[in-house]
Amino acid sequence: MASETVLVIGGGPAGMEAARSVADLGYPVLLVERRDRLGGRPEEEHYAKLTHHFREAEDMIRELVEAVTTHSNVTVMTSSEVVGCEGEPGNFRVKIRNGASAEEVTVGSIIVATGFQHFDPGRETQMYNYYTFPDVITIADLEGMLKAHQVVRPSNGQPPERVAFIQCVGSRDRQIGNEFCSKVCCGIASKQAIEVKQQLPDSRVFIFYIDMRMYGYWENEIYWPAQEEYKVNYVKGIVSEILPKGDRLLIRGEDTTMGRPMEVTVDLVVLSVGMEPSEGTRKIAKILDIRQNKYGYIEAGGPTGVDPVATSRPGIFVAGAASGPADLDDTFATAGLAAARAVATVRRLQLAKAA
Amino acid sequence: MDAGLDKVQAIWEKETAVVEGMDISGPWNRMFEQRVIWEYTPDLIDQIASIEGAESFAWCYQCAKCVPVCPVDVVGDYGPRKLYRKSQTGIDWTQGPDLWLCTTCANCLRVCPKLVDMVQIMPALREQALLSGNNVPAELQEALENTFRYGNPLGQPPRKRDAWVKKAGVPVPLLYKEKRPVEWLWWVECYPSYHPRGIDASIALAKIFNALAIDFGILGREEKCAGDSQRLAGEKGLFEMLAEQNIATLSKYEFERMVVTDPHALNAFRKYYPKYGGEYEVWHYTQLLVQHLDRLRELMTQPLNRKVTFHDPCYLGRHNGEYEAPRQLIQALPGVEFVEMWRCRENGYCCGGGGGGMWLDGYVVNYQRRRLSEQRVLEAIATGADTLVVVCPYEVSRFEDAVKSTGNEGKLEVKDIAELIAEAMGV
Repeated sequence: MASETVLVIGGGPAGMEAARSVADLGYPVLLVERRDRLGGRPEEEHYAKLTHHFREAEDMIRELVEAVTTHSNVTVMTSSEVVGCEGEPGNFRVKIRNGASAEEVTVGSIIVATGFQHFDPGRETQMYNYYTFPDVITIADLEGMLKAHQVVRPSNGQPPERVAFIQCVGSRDRQIGNEFCSKVCCGIASKQAIEVKQQLPDSRVFIFYIDMRMYGYWENEIYWPAQEEYKVNYVKGIVSEILPKGDRLLIRGEDTTMGRPMEVTVDLVVLSVGMEPSEGTRKIAKILDIRQNKYGYIEAGGPTGVDPVATSRPGIFVAGAASGPADLDDTFATAGLAAARAVATVRRLQLAKAA
Repeated sequence: MDAGLDKVQAIWEKETAVVEGMDISGPWNRMFEQRVIWEYTPDLIDQIASIEGAESFAWCYQCAKCVPVCPVDVVGDYGPRKLYRKSQTGIDWTQGPDLWLCTTCANCLRVCPKLVDMVQIMPALREQALLSGNNVPAELQEALENTFRYGNPLGQPPRKRDAWVKKAGVPVPLLYKEKRPVEWLWWVECYPSYHPRGIDASIALAKIFNALAIDFGILGREEKCAGDSQRLAGEKGLFEMLAEQNIATLSKYEFERMVVTDPHALNAFRKYYPKYGGEYEVWHYTQLLVQHLDRLRELMTQPLNRKVTFHDPCYLGRHNGEYEAPRQLIQALPGVEFVEMWRCRENGYCCGGGGGGMWLDGYVVNYQRRRLSEQRVLEAIATGADTLVVVCPYEVSRFEDAVKSTGNEGKLEVKDIAELIAEAMGV
């Protein structure tokens, strides 16, 4: 007897949206999350506002959590990890560990939504000294500060007068091994630049970039207002040296449009760290025996090459940033598609059996 | 920041300049360059990238990370990104000074996301220039000819290579005389054999080796330049000749390991001699001394009363990954306060001597507002240190000259770590 249950692995935005979609299509969902609560990266890293109309991330996550936890078709297992899987579509036997106990469940199809982690700037070859200079932080750190309305220099607790963002930290980099663009950092940095100016109107904010990749609505909703209304200074050319200057930081780069050296003293440097596959994504790929690309992300594409949710194993689908850098638009799109594919898999088997 | 740096900066990057009522604001040379870009042609990039070793030149995506960390840009207008851009706009920089300003210090490579490797690109392009005979600075040509003729770039007689041994006051076994196996073959290299300040450090090191009862010997007049900087200046043929001759000489003697004074020789022995059949276990002398740290601490009884800073040699640090050994030795010196310069370790600033720069000082000064060694000395003085510690034989003479030429005589002493250790040991 083929199972009609869809297993969703990962309780972040991708997993919750996929679970909600499957449940709304009328099929049972088992949602497994490693942490003791749902919410994923936005909740764990205290994200402040979304690029979508500057909505509070917390509100969006709360709505998703409510939707899955109140839906009669969804069973949520937290503090649980998938540790084994065998079988085929309609009959995947999956081992789930919860603390000391383990159980085996049978599911019809699987959606992997194990997401990403932020690049660790300790691996940065520029020597931005994240772990040495307290006033060098990441966009993830700044999210927490923005959320708490406490944008300060960690070294002295004072609000910064001058803030510099450095783009492409840990992305587009052969040396580090992350040759891909992380896709969201241009928008996030610009959004954060606006928020910094909203919270600290007297501050001056700079963004040092190689290319600004502001596709779609980011261009008119974020990039233009950042420059035009909030007077964020965009400078083409990446800072490659941060030197201590008294109790402040001297950043050195080249303004490539002017072809001139740039040396600016700032109070706070924000590294726009990119995405990497999360540890959970790397682990689950091995457990499910699905192909990863050279960066460790789950390889999507399927036989046609254009299916963004198909993995190398039939009946197993991927949603969100587990298959590569993704923003929330991408995440909701792939979560919905993965839900449709996962349901179609079990439904096709049911129909075949009925006929 | 020290006043010296600010002053020059002000001249270099004046926001506005009005001369006799005429506004000529902007970088000084801009008005002499063609202002309008007429055409974008990738021909030159293709041409460069087609040369073996220079392939990665074409990978640049103009992020400009390399420019601020380029030691030449700090005192001039340079950087791999700019060379790529010039090529793109049809300016053949390989026919001018840009070909000779790079010191192959590898700080650009450290930060390059695309792994554009100037340490390979520059020697490959320079080799073309040397083969064609065009655009080769005369003083470099002379050093290369000296090396070819005498086995050292200084043009000194080969038989005088071990003359310093007589002045050492301690035994310095010459293997061609003693013909016995030794544990350590000490590769002295050219400047420590001939240059007066290099000899000071060699004598100090010989005294330390003796005090530590290290079993060592040197090749003396049979040693020839290891040739790494000549290779990086584009003389691959000369390097191969030296490597083959040195490997043949080394094969005559029995030794367990090599210890080298010169980080450039270290680089050659570790990375290039194996390709010609010369495989040795090679240590830098700071790496050997640090193995004897406990004994050295016992022997170093005389406080030095110095405030010191330390210059990382590019070919010991970035090229060969050693940052700790010299620092451990410095920290063991009695009566010494140690301060770091603001550019240090992986981001250490180049002295200007590498990649052939040692033999281009008269040439590059026309294209830089000060020498790299002068810039570094100003950075050392800005720390408040009275002593600049070095562990590369290029540097004592370079920095001593720079102390004088920047008008800082008496403010900063330049010492090889071996000299300080010997001083603290009272030998």
